[in-house]
Order: sequence, then structure tokens, then C-alpha cells
Amino acid sequence: MSPPSSVAQQKLKHHIRHECLRAFKTAIPLIISFIPFGMMLGAQAKMKGMSWLELVLMCGVNFAGGSEFVAIGLWQQTPPLLMIVCMTLLVNCRHILMGVTMIPICRRQPVRKMLLSFFLLCDETWALSLQDSYRRMEEGYREPFSYPYYITIAISFYITWIITALLGLLIGPLLGDLTQYGFDMAFPAVFIVLLKGMWNGWRRGIPWACSLLVACVVHLLIPGQWYVMAGAMTGLLIVLCLPPSFFEINHAR
Amino acid sequence: MLDNLINHHAFLTILCMGMVTYLTRISGYLLLRNRNYPRLTRILEILPGCVMISLIAPIFVTGKLSDFIAVILTILAAMRFSFLMTLIVGIGSAGVLRHFLPMILH
Repeated sequence: MSPPSSVAQQKLKHHIRHECLRAFKTAIPLIISFIPFGMMLGAQAKMKGMSWLELVLMCGVNFAGGSEFVAIGLWQQTPPLLMIVCMTLLVNCRHILMGVTMIPICRRQPVRKMLLSFFLLCDETWALSLQDSYRRMEEGYREPFSYPYYITIAISFYITWIITALLGLLIGPLLGDLTQYGFDMAFPAVFIVLLKGMWNGWRRGIPWACSLLVACVVHLLIPGQWYVMAGAMTGLLIVLCLPPSFFEINHAR
Repeated sequence: MLDNLINHHAFLTILCMGMVTYLTRISGYLLLRNRNYPRLTRILEILPGCVMISLIAPIFVTGKLSDFIAVILTILAAMRFSFLMTLIVGIGSAGVLRHFLPMILH
């Protein structure tokens, strides 16, 4: 006869294995969708003259696709540090909101454990984990947040991202100039898909439209990367100037 | 040998990027765990879209008709299809249009 603690341990082990498997199955389609992203990133890094170590470090330390595309776009022999860091902050400030939306679902989790696991938080992990937690809440689980589920998805995306980026750097250039085949359209396509996912009615679209307009004009008139800052600041100004009730989602729909 | 692969400045840039990104990941959770700022939340809901749409602005104003049509097709595809399909439509239409549109117009 095994003591009860050992039975409980085995049950827990079984539960964790089950959660990991369930997470991995959910993540597979998104893992596949990471491949063209990562390959594009690697190929662009190669075009900018980045070494494989720089690329792997960036993917491993930063691990936020959007900001890495921007950083590589701005990359030089001596990279413009302040510009890249500011752009990283602007592109990734959406993570702050993601963290806020995680608060109600991981209230029972220890703060230190959550702080560590947030290192791997990305758009897709966040979306899947939140969706899963909402489902568990509806099904009446005491703890909505499944840590093994979150961490399995996060780690599989992390590994996929680094490997595909490295692959893009190694074999991407073999494909020649990707622009003539339209491969540079992958960058706008990625952001158009992300924007579509964030679309929340035309009222919230107004700052976006103003950003686009100003960014286009600034891009035509002023050389360099200022159009991003100009466009983003225009959007921010519009949000601050319009009354809060204008952006209520029930009004917008 | 390591100097060929990465210089100090690049290493520092990547480290700073990582630090800033990690701060964005934890700050919302850390600062707002027990509070509620509706105005800040609203800005954070809309600002990322403003940044992303500004980033892709150059593709709208390349001055080439083929690029403009391709980006419109990409937007239409994003409204109906999955990410992978949108990527195929975007890349495919840009590649085909850049090759054939100048032939048709001239």
C-alpha cells in the first residue's frame, strides 16, 4: 500500500502531464503560423548584417516579435540604441494592458511566480491562456489559471521563435531578394492581422486613421523613422482630446 | 572570436530592449493589481493600434500602384481569412502585381 501523499503526488503528476499535452495540442496551429514570421525576421536580420548570435540573443532576451521587426528595420553596424529602445517601448506597451487583464485570473497565484512567467508573455500565449481561464471559470473551477497550460504554450512558442528566426537567417538569403516576390508585404500583413484582431468599432478606429494619415505625410516629407513617432503621438493626442464616453465600446458597436 | 559575432553596443542595445520589454510585461500586473484607472486603460487599448498602423504607413505611399492594390487586397483578406491565408494573399498579390502590372499599363 502506498501512503496517501504518494497517491496525491501521482495524481498531480498525471494532472500536469494532461495539462501540458492539452496546451501543446492547442498551440500547434499557432506554432505553425510562427514559422513564416520567424523566417522573415531571420531573413531581414541577414539583410541588415546581423550575426546569428545577435539574432538569437534578441529573440531570447526580448522575445516580442513586433519590436524585433522594428529593431531590425532600424539596425546598423552601431545600432541607434535610444531610438530602438523607445520604439520597443511604444510597440510593446500593449503588454501592460495584457498584464492588467491577467490580474483577475491569476489572483490566487504567488506574485513572484507570475513575475517570472510574465517573461514569456506574448500576444498568442496571452490570448490562449485568457481564453482557457475564462472557460475554466465558466466550468466552475476554483482556480481559473492553469499554470502548466500557460507555461507549456509559452515555452513552445519561445523555442519555435528562436529556431525559425535562426533558420530564416541561414536559408532566407538563399531565396534571393525577397522583395521582388512580394515577401516584404509580410510585414504589413502581420500588422494588418494584429490590427484586425484589435478592431473594436469605428469610433476606436478614428485615432488609428489619424495616425495612418499623419504617418504617411511625415514619411513622404521627412526622411528617417520619425513617421512612427509622429503617427503614434497623433493617435495619443486624439484619444486624450476626445471625451472618454466617445470610446465606450457599447457606443461604438 | 566573440567580437566578430557581437559588439558591445549591439549587446547593450539588445539588453536594454529586453529590459524595457520585460518591464512592459510586468508593470501592468504589478502596478494595477489593486487599482483602476479607466483613462489609462483606454489609452493603452487604442495606442498599440496607432503604433502598428504608423509602422506600416510607408507601404501605402510607395507611389507604386501595384503596392497600393496589394495592401488593399491584404486588408480585405485579413477581414475574412486566417493569418496564414492573409499572408499568402499579401505576398502573392504583391509579387504578381509588381511583375505584371507595369506590363499591362505600358
